[in-house]
Amino acid sequence: MAQLKINGKSYFVDSAADTPLLWVLREDLKLTGTKFGCGGGYCGCCTVHINGEAMRSCRIRVGDVENAIITTIEGLDPASNHPVQEAWLDLQVPQCGYCQSGQIMQAAALLAENNNPNDEEIEISMRGNLCRCMTYKRIKSAVKKAGKTMRERSV
Amino acid sequence: MDKMKTNRRSFLISSAAGISTLVFAQTAVAQGKKAVDLLNPSSPLVLPPNFAPSVWFTMESNGRTTVHVFRNEMGQHVGTAFAQIVAEELGLNWSEVTIDYPQMDHKTMSTYGLQMTGGSYSVFEEFGKLSRVAAAARDIILEQGADLLGAEIADCLVENSMVKDTLMGESITFSEILSETVIDYEVSEEDLKNVKLKKRSEYKILGKSLPALDIPEKINGSARFAIDAHVPNMVYAKIIAPPRRMGAKVKGFDDTEAKKVPGYLQTIPFNLPDEAIFGGFITHVPLVIAKSFPSAMRAAQSVKVDWDIANTSDLSSKDIEEEARNLLSDSRNAEVYWKVGDYNSCKDKNECKEVEVEYKTSMVSHVSMEPMSALANFIDGTLHIYAGHQMGTTLPSTIANYTGLKPENIIYHPHLIGGSFGKKIEYELTILASLAALATKKPVKVIFTREDDMAFAHPRTPTVQKLRALVTSKDCIGINHDVACATMQIAPFFPAFTHPPIVDGKPIKDSKIKHEAYVMLGSNNWYDIENQTANHFRQVSVEKTIPVRAVRSVGNNYTVFALETFIDEIANEIGEDPLALRLSKLKGKGVNAGESFGSSPSASFGGGKRLANVLRIASGLANYGSNALEEGNSLGISIAGAETRYNPSFLACIAKVHVDKKSAAIKVKKLTCVVDVGIAINPDGIKAQVEGSLLWGLSNALMEKMTLNQGAVVERNFDTYKWQNITSIPELEIHIVENGIYPSGVGEPATCVVAPAIGNAIFNATGVRLRSLPFSREELFEGLEKQA
Repeated sequence: MAQLKINGKSYFVDSAADTPLLWVLREDLKLTGTKFGCGGGYCGCCTVHINGEAMRSCRIRVGDVENAIITTIEGLDPASNHPVQEAWLDLQVPQCGYCQSGQIMQAAALLAENNNPNDEEIEISMRGNLCRCMTYKRIKSAVKKAGKTMRERSV
Repeated sequence: MDKMKTNRRSFLISSAAGISTLVFAQTAVAQGKKAVDLLNPSSPLVLPPNFAPSVWFTMESNGRTTVHVFRNEMGQHVGTAFAQIVAEELGLNWSEVTIDYPQMDHKTMSTYGLQMTGGSYSVFEEFGKLSRVAAAARDIILEQGADLLGAEIADCLVENSMVKDTLMGESITFSEILSETVIDYEVSEEDLKNVKLKKRSEYKILGKSLPALDIPEKINGSARFAIDAHVPNMVYAKIIAPPRRMGAKVKGFDDTEAKKVPGYLQTIPFNLPDEAIFGGFITHVPLVIAKSFPSAMRAAQSVKVDWDIANTSDLSSKDIEEEARNLLSDSRNAEVYWKVGDYNSCKDKNECKEVEVEYKTSMVSHVSMEPMSALANFIDGTLHIYAGHQMGTTLPSTIANYTGLKPENIIYHPHLIGGSFGKKIEYELTILASLAALATKKPVKVIFTREDDMAFAHPRTPTVQKLRALVTSKDCIGINHDVACATMQIAPFFPAFTHPPIVDGKPIKDSKIKHEAYVMLGSNNWYDIENQTANHFRQVSVEKTIPVRAVRSVGNNYTVFALETFIDEIANEIGEDPLALRLSKLKGKGVNAGESFGSSPSASFGGGKRLANVLRIASGLANYGSNALEEGNSLGISIAGAETRYNPSFLACIAKVHVDKKSAAIKVKKLTCVVDVGIAINPDGIKAQVEGSLLWGLSNALMEKMTLNQGAVVERNFDTYKWQNITSIPELEIHIVENGIYPSGVGEPATCVVAPAIGNAIFNATGVRLRSLPFSREELFEGLEKQA
């Protein structure tokens, strides 16, 4: 049993405390934008924000995040208009799209800390988010573009 | 409003409010069927067998046109390409165009055709058909619009979802036309043949980089993939992977401990008949069912399974490699695939030297990000399948074979595919979910964990290849390409995907040899080398160990690697520049001329000459031959006409590579790729596919290797199966060429040219030739040490 704060809403779920948060999100709460990719924290498909940090929800037990603020792709922006999402749309990043929720959440967390990352910083932050369609080139460009938008808007 | 008059080509049933739909029947007239009154709910909807209203698209009276996409969306944005083709000929306002993915039942295949999403065939196969159907619709709506405007057809044109009277300056929108009239119209085969298509110079929507229609839902979490499918009261299932990839049987199991897991329901062992295993469609497997997937995962850990592994293959990758060499050493094992001239007699007749080299390639796995998943729900006598499948039209009949249900009682609901590359052409999950739903009388969703997905891998076959060339002092006059590898075992199920040997461009129809169409792809190259033979040495032992299957671009990836590396080796042997040697052999002679113009569809028009063209452009873009490269940097070339000789995209790739001679570290700095796609439907979409394909090829070249140990896959997750991430991405320069005649496919082909270009560049930088994929840094290190 756990009480969760997700995307500004409060939930009560009837899952064992050691259940991975990923499956609670997907199956109990039907927040299916967060994806299952590997179950081992290697691929980043299940990335969500826990208190603003990008984390792998397949490796987080639901009992450990009871008082945390959890944000999923569905709650990143009320109008799905986060600068990262805008850039992803502008540069037509997704192909199959399966990993992109995780990519977007990872990128949003990176840019919240550093809205002007260089190539190396982007690579370090994003290297755990695999994309089998290999949209990496556009991901990199989109992170930079979103960073630029955020810098302009923060002035 | 004026009363409409009936004319030769159309008649109006009545004028009424509500939705009117443009109805098409390619074969209805031929069958003499009466038109259907869609507006009268009490009129019997008698549809002829090959007729369905709006087969490829539906126009609503609100102005919106929905293009129905029967190929599965898996990242290639196929629906957007189809919608562009329809919108162009129909003269639509793009902002009013949308797509959907209709369900498929037992009639879908006979109505719509096979609709395989693969082979980079989708646009190639549909372009002509969609263009003609849409153009016919445009003519009809033009006629209706002209009638409503009281204008002559000759004075009217269609543009932006409007019919315009150019004489009077009046116009009427499609929405108005469809609101004020009901068009009931039948188009004959003859009409379609004679319909006037737009000239390429008239294109307004085709050729534009329009945003893909499936992307917005993929950035906000709302896109529905197979794994997201949900119906009320469904339960979840997880397999227990067998100790051998194929054939291990479930003797018994003990779920005493599993029963203690909250939510655990039951374990069902599926021992399927042997013919089910044949071809690796499925294997015996216990299915652990629980109320939630975490419960199924927990329970599965504590179910003890007693496996019978007698009669299973326990081969390991090393055994397979050795056996392949033995196969190759005996020419009696050769099955000729492609032959021009006569290599052997050429060898006897001419004074020449024979060069022989061996290449090998590893198994490569799909590892699409979405693991395999399927939901089945048996309700009111009908089995509903919720999945993503590359051949959805075949699901009703295939699942009927395994369940005993009739195909007419099976419906497939397509979902987005979270990456496929060939993996989701497999049937296992849909079959398992169906059997489980019938056994439990509950909706069951089966999900593969990553470990299950990889334990049940369908990788690209490993190969050992022997290439021989006949060289004179200045020229190459013959190539013999022997490939030892497995088939995909699809011939018994899909005889249409087989063909006899092709000799001098013609199929040997009475030959006993039948090749699967994709196994030897690429060995039938476009070089004007007069004497060439490509032989397949079928490695049955692999087929008995693991079902190797279609992985992105299939055979091209191993044959093109070997061939394109070998061409460089030949160039080196005769002291010719690899670029010059290739260009001298790409004149489009004889079998390499390509199809004639107007043959339908003539995607290969121009043949080898188009390869020469892309190669010249690529070498120009990459400054090939310039001396300005920094120390340790080098360029390497590779070309291919892929996916097949029938629907080729003509590709040239030039890799710029840096090798650190001390550490043997390989850094790919840039890939320049030029691709002639015939007609570019959506240039940015093509670029996206080529970007992905190039990095996929890079990943195959430098990292990917799946191995077998005692008949089981060793690598079960991404800690051991390594592939490309966002680091060390080379610069990509992609240039699209169009000959303007007919579009080919782009989802796969560019994967195959990367490895040989990199390997050739490594040789040019170091003098060390790497002949095994993935390239090994250790092997390069040893080679460099030997040189020193």
